[in-house]
Amino acid sequence: MLKVGPSSGEIRRMSDEDIFLSRLKLLIIMAKAYLTGCPFGEYRKQAIIENSRFVFYHSLQSVNKVVSFKNRDLINQTGFGFTGDPHEEHIFYQRIQLLAVMVKALAQGRLKGHFREKALKENLNKICEALIFNFNVDNVQFLKVA
Amino acid sequence: MSQVSIPNVKIAVIDGDLLVRDFVSTVLMYCVNRDVLSFDNGKAAWRYLEGADSPDIIISEVDVSGMNGFELLAKFKAKHPDKKCLLMSANPEDEKIARDSGADAFLAKPVSVSDLFRVVEAFVV
Repeated sequence: MLKVGPSSGEIRRMSDEDIFLSRLKLLIIMAKAYLTGCPFGEYRKQAIIENSRFVFYHSLQSVNKVVSFKNRDLINQTGFGFTGDPHEEHIFYQRIQLLAVMVKALAQGRLKGHFREKALKENLNKICEALIFNFNVDNVQFLKVA
Repeated sequence: MSQVSIPNVKIAVIDGDLLVRDFVSTVLMYCVNRDVLSFDNGKAAWRYLEGADSPDIIISEVDVSGMNGFELLAKFKAKHPDKKCLLMSANPEDEKIARDSGADAFLAKPVSVSDLFRVVEAFVV
């Protein structure tokens, strides 16, 4: 029997934050796969659009929370390891929203042009830096066929 | 663990938690570029699974209403011994029961994207 996931001491129910973080990582992989030239396919496009929509709305809620904390002079409560600067966190969620819009656009064939692709790469790099997330699409063979 | 390749694979996900079910379905739909079936309870899933057009792979939460994951595993394997049944759980004690019951894989929660990629690599491609 194949076993995947955390060791028994770390097994727990999935929280909303677990789902958001996992979907954000999936969004990053989707963008990287596009930039690497992986093919789409109809259901893959549908999955990209659904995932973009989820990440966009969740990060929109998170931005509102950050603004609310800022207004009440509270420190941030999220798990992304920010230094307590609400501005830094606010920008991070804005970048995630932008990524969601960009990835949805690419699935719909609307992200065309050298500078849009450059902007996507730059935005991806900034988000990956903040998350300390590194993923090599070349290691996943099934993404290269649709 | 045997490596298999299933062309035009059909997958079903069973979990009462909408957020988890949708997340797992989205990742799998993206990986295999095929539609993925989803059910929020064991009974509804079984009504579909016992039919002739049953999926090649089912991924079920153990703690699901109507019919739990272990019951679903036993019925599914009895009817389709050549197909794959994977169980997910947030309870570490379920791993041994899953192994003894003949599950093909145990997905400990929280499930990550790379865990689901490993599942696709092991059972689909």
